Amino acid sequence: MRELALTGFLAIVFGLGAFYATQHFGAFSIVNLVVGCVALVIAIALGARRLRFVGGRHSRPVILRGLLLIVGALVLAVAAERLVASANIRFDWTFERRYELSPATLKVLAELPGEVSATLYAHPGDPRRRRTRLLIEQLATAGPVRTAESDLGDSPRDEDRFGVSSSNTVVLQLGDRFERVDRPNEATFYEALYRLRSVRTGTLLLLQGEGEGDPLDESDLGYSGLAAALQTEGYELRSVVSAALSEVPEDTDAVVLIAPQRRLLDGALGALRRYLERGGRLVALLEPGVESGVEELLAEYGLATPEGVLVDPASGGAGGSSSAGVDPVAYNYQEHPISKGLNSRRMTYFSGARSFTLRKPRPDDQLSAVVLSSPRAWLSDDPSALQRRFGGLEPDGAPQTYHPLVVAGRYPRDGGEVRIVASGDSDFASNRYLRVLYNLDLVLNAVHWAVERESEITLRPKIRDTIQFPLPLQNSLRTLYSVGLLLPELLLIAGGIVWLRRRVA
Amino acid sequence: MTALLALIRKEFVSLFGSPTAYLTLTMVALVSALIFFDHLKLYNQILFVYSTPTMGGFSSDAIPDHINLWDRVFFPVMETLGLTLIGAVPLITMRVFAEERARGTDELIVSTSLTPTSIVAGKFAVTYLFVTLMMLVSFVYPATAIERGGIGLQHLAATFAGLTLHGIAIASIGLACSAFASSQLVAAVSGWAVAFVLWDFSWMYPFVSEGVAKFLDGISLHPRYGSFAEGIVSLEHLVYFAGLALVALAVSRFAFDLRRVGA
Repeated sequence: MRELALTGFLAIVFGLGAFYATQHFGAFSIVNLVVGCVALVIAIALGARRLRFVGGRHSRPVILRGLLLIVGALVLAVAAERLVASANIRFDWTFERRYELSPATLKVLAELPGEVSATLYAHPGDPRRRRTRLLIEQLATAGPVRTAESDLGDSPRDEDRFGVSSSNTVVLQLGDRFERVDRPNEATFYEALYRLRSVRTGTLLLLQGEGEGDPLDESDLGYSGLAAALQTEGYELRSVVSAALSEVPEDTDAVVLIAPQRRLLDGALGALRRYLERGGRLVALLEPGVESGVEELLAEYGLATPEGVLVDPASGGAGGSSSAGVDPVAYNYQEHPISKGLNSRRMTYFSGARSFTLRKPRPDDQLSAVVLSSPRAWLSDDPSALQRRFGGLEPDGAPQTYHPLVVAGRYPRDGGEVRIVASGDSDFASNRYLRVLYNLDLVLNAVHWAVERESEITLRPKIRDTIQFPLPLQNSLRTLYSVGLLLPELLLIAGGIVWLRRRVA
Repeated sequence: MTALLALIRKEFVSLFGSPTAYLTLTMVALVSALIFFDHLKLYNQILFVYSTPTMGGFSSDAIPDHINLWDRVFFPVMETLGLTLIGAVPLITMRVFAEERARGTDELIVSTSLTPTSIVAGKFAVTYLFVTLMMLVSFVYPATAIERGGIGLQHLAATFAGLTLHGIAIASIGLACSAFASSQLVAAVSGWAVAFVLWDFSWMYPFVSEGVAKFLDGISLHPRYGSFAEGIVSLEHLVYFAGLALVALAVSRFAFDLRRVGA
C-alpha cells in the first residue's frame, strides 16, 4: 500500500510539475495524473481496509471524535471564509494605492444607466492579468459591473468586433455600446466608463485661425489630449475660424480660446464681446509676450494681465529644462470650486506664464485668484527670460509677491451671469503637460465651472507610469554579495558545523 | 505549560540540530537570490536594447508596457519562490511526526502530561516559526534590491505576509501528511503532491463547469498568495490560510488518535 501511495504521489507531482513548467497539458502530464490518481485510489482503498481493525468498541468513539473534529474545523473554516468574503474587507498596500477607487470613479459608477460587462482578454501567462482582474473586481464591488475573462484567441469573433489585438485588454460593454481599454488602470477605466455613461454636458466653441492651439494636433505641443478629455466628459467640440466669426452661436455653452498667437480680428473680438454681454462663458488660456486682443477684453472684466514673464524662484529647475524659475509649479490655491480638492500636496505645473491683476468692474462682481505662484515670484519684463535655461534671473526691484496664474470671475449682467476663467499659460493643458501633476483636473474643472456644471468638478484618477528604468547592476551586485550570497553561505557553514559535531558525537 | 515549552524547546533543538534545516534555508535563500539576480540582469538587458537610438530610446514610448520592474522581475521571482516553497517546506515537515514514529519516540511524548492537541499544536508552532525564518532569509535580498525601485515598504510587507502565509499553508499540509505517514519519504512526497494539487487548479478549467471552476479557484493557493504579491491584503485570504491551518491541525490530531488506538 505504501509503495502504491508513493508511486501515486510522485506521478501527480511530475504530472502537475510538467504542466506548470510548460503551461501545456500534454500526454506526459495526463498519463502521470491518471496513473497517480488510480494508484492513490487503490492505496486509499487498501488503507480503508486496515481501518476495519480499529473499529473496536473502545477505539470507535476516539475515531468518531477525531472525524467530527475534522468536519467541525472544515465547516468553521469555510463558514468564516465565506462570511469574511461577503464583507469584502481588503487593504490596498500598494505604494500608489492602485486598487483604491477615487471618488470620481465611484461617482461615475453610481451614475451608470445599466449594468456594464467588463471582459478581460489576456494570454494565460500574462503577468498583468491578475492585476487587471483585481482592478475590475474592485469596480464590480463598487458598482453595476459584471466581470468575465477570456484567453486571447479563444473568442476570435468578439475580438474582431471589439478590435482586441493585444493581451491585457478590457472591453466594457453597456447595451450595444462598448469601450475598449488597452492599458487598463483606474484612470483609463474611469474615462471609458464616463464615455459609456454618455451624459452630454455642453457645447464648446474653439476659435481657430490665429495660431491657436490645435485640438487635432497629437504632438507634444498640440491639444488633442485636452480635446479628448473634454469629449470624454461629455462636451461637444466645435471649431470655428475666428476671422469668419460674426456672432457666437446661441447654443454655445462656452468659448474656449487656446493661446492665439496673433491679434484677433475686430469682428471676432466684437462677437466675443457681444456674446459675453448676453451672459456668455469664456475660458481663455493665454501666453506671455502675445497681445491677441483677448487681454483687452479680459481687462474690461477686471482681469488685467500685465506685460512680463512670471519668474518663481521657488520652482527653479522644475521641468528639467529651466533653472530660471520660468516654469512655475503652483501649490497655492484659493478657495474656489475650480480648485476643489487641490492643495499644497496636489500641485499644478505651468510652463512660461503671465500673471493677472484683479479689479472689480462692478461692486457685485466676484473675482477670484484661483491658482497663485509662491510669494517669492516676480514679473520679468525681459522677453528672453522664457528662453533662459540656466542661471537665476534677478528681480531688480520688481515686487515679489503671490501672483495669480489662473483667475475666475462671475459677473451678474442684464443678459445673464457671465463667467470667465483665464490662465496665464496654455502649455499646462498641452499634450506634453496635460497629465502632469493635477493639470488635467484644473483645466477640466475650470471648463465645468464656466458652464455651470459644478457637479462634474472632481479629481480624476491618475494614469501612473510603470517603472521602466534600469536598476544599476553594480548596486545590485553589491547587495547580492552582501546579502544574497553571504547569508546562504553562513547558513551552509552553520549546517556543516552542526553535521560534523553530530558525527563526532 | 512547562511541558509544552519543553516540547517546543526540544523541537527547536531537534530541528536546528540536523543539517537538513540549514540546507533547506540555504537552498531557498540561494535560489531566490540567484533567480532574482538573473531576472534583474535580463530586465536590464531588455531595457538596454529598447534604450538604443534605433529602438527609439528612453524618451519615446518605444518600451512596451509590460517591460517593467514588477512584471519582469519582482512578480516572476515571487511566483518562482512560491513554487520553490512547495519543494522545500515538506523537506522540513516530513520529519516532524514521521521521524518520531519511525524511532518510536512518540510514545514518550504521549506519556507526558501534554494533551494530544497540545503536542500537535506545539509541533505546528515550531514549524511555523521555522517557515517564517525561511521567508525572512529568502526575502531579504529581493526586498533590499527592489526597494530602490520604489515599490514601497507597505507593498513589500504585504508580499512578505503573503509569502509567509503561503509557506505556513504548505507547512500545514506537510505536517498533516507527516502525521499520517510512517516514513519520511512518503511524508515528503505526499506533502509535495497535495501542495502541488492545491497550488493552482487552472489546468482543470477546460474540463469542468464554471461553478466548479469557481469553487476550485476558491480553494487554490496561487490566487490567494498572488493577491498579496499585488499589494492587496484581504481579510478573506487571511481567513483562508488560517482555516487551512486549522483543518490541518484537526487532521494531524486525528492521525495522532488513530495511532493511539493502534491503526
